[in-house]
Amino acid sequence: MDVDTTSTTTTSLVDRIVVPGDVVLDLTKMENQTVRLGAGLRQDCDSISVMQAGKLRLSKPNKYWVESSQKRYIPSLEDAVLGIVVDSRSDNFLVDIKAPNLAFLPVLAFEGGTRRNIPKFETGTLIYARVVKANSIMNPELSCTDASGKAAEFGQLKNGYMFETSTGLARTLLSSPTCPVLEALGKKISFETAIGLNGRVWVNGSSPDDVILVSNAIMRSEFLSGTQQRTMVEKLMERLRGN
Amino acid sequence: MGKMEDRIDGRNANQLRPLACSRNLLHRAHGSARWSQGNTIVLAAVYGPKAGTKKGENPEKASFEVIWKPKTGQIGKQEREYEMILKRTLQSICLLNVHPNTTTSIIVQVVGDDGSLLPCAINASCAALVDAGIPMKNLAVAISCGLMEEGSIILDLTKSEEEKLKAFAYLVFPNSPLTVIPKVPLSKEQPIEQGIITSVTRGAMPVSGYFDCMNRGVAACAAISEFLRRSLQKQSSDDTSRAA
Repeated sequence: MDVDTTSTTTTSLVDRIVVPGDVVLDLTKMENQTVRLGAGLRQDCDSISVMQAGKLRLSKPNKYWVESSQKRYIPSLEDAVLGIVVDSRSDNFLVDIKAPNLAFLPVLAFEGGTRRNIPKFETGTLIYARVVKANSIMNPELSCTDASGKAAEFGQLKNGYMFETSTGLARTLLSSPTCPVLEALGKKISFETAIGLNGRVWVNGSSPDDVILVSNAIMRSEFLSGTQQRTMVEKLMERLRGN
Repeated sequence: MGKMEDRIDGRNANQLRPLACSRNLLHRAHGSARWSQGNTIVLAAVYGPKAGTKKGENPEKASFEVIWKPKTGQIGKQEREYEMILKRTLQSICLLNVHPNTTTSIIVQVVGDDGSLLPCAINASCAALVDAGIPMKNLAVAISCGLMEEGSIILDLTKSEEEKLKAFAYLVFPNSPLTVIPKVPLSKEQPIEQGIITSVTRGAMPVSGYFDCMNRGVAACAAISEFLRRSLQKQSSDDTSRAA
């Protein structure tokens, strides 16, 4: 009987941490079925293998993807991101969204945007925008309107404080039901926040103390469970209110 | 087997030094990893993908640049050779058509050198690339094998062993994957299933000795590959894992 030393066979790798090179699906066994691949997976002749390390997820019936968390962002369509303007040209702004390429924000992509009322963004302006074009070859394109042309909270973010996180934490903060840390903070403090899926978070509150507290709580909550997050927020509040 | 003399640090022929790997140490780097095998410690940092490629590179593919920083001394030919070997190894395991016209920089800093420096650097760079999320075909696992006078093989050489031995080799293999496809039984002609990525040899050795090195290297790399998989399982802010 041959001893299997080089690779182990398992029935399913769903919901397990996979590394590049792992084969997760055998397409020869799945004739006449459609399989949808998300991030981190690629087709290698008759099998689907992993490109990035992370947790393999399955959404019934046929959507597979790898959930991983990085410091850089790979642009994908309809994501809300926070960008920083680095330059302005005649027809679009060049915006940094932590992606391999700089993104273009057309000068007219605002609600009621015409050639006469072009916004003046200086270098360093923080913008909340939506990705409308994203592929690996071209620079991604952004827009400050939603699909129907309304402003819908997109545009420049004034005041407040912006910090960077990993893409995984940004996704957790945006998940529904509400992330425990945001819920716990919202019970005691009033603040507003804009979360970009590219790993940038903007927080604004009534006083600098609140802003610092909320930002620190969010930054520390990445690797904590729900109850740990709530306890952490309570301790932070006690320490600040008690002093 | 009984005639083998003990190695200086008391290991037997097949024993590796204690391995330790920690990822995500550097705050600014997009991916970073520190890999140590005994007293050989290497810190690798990955920045990228960044826009644009260098002049001579193909813009339809992603390109890599490796910068090797020795612990002391100026950068010379040895460092350039390591950079070239590392670049070719990493280019062959990464998928180059996912982000065309980009450059990924890998900076390797030698923290301690006690033999097996190139394999340690390759392992560290691979872990750093995984930390940065660069798309890869599989992982690379590297080991050093030395050939003693009487034909026996020792693994994971220290600096003094490298200086005394007549011939040794650094071998890089792909990692052992988890797969849902039932494995085809190995045939006699293909003893090494997934092939070899890189082989650097120093000194003269007979062909049979080289194949012995490769067989031992494959077995050792399976163990290192298992350790790498376990260290990638943990996802914490500054995860460290050790194995003896």
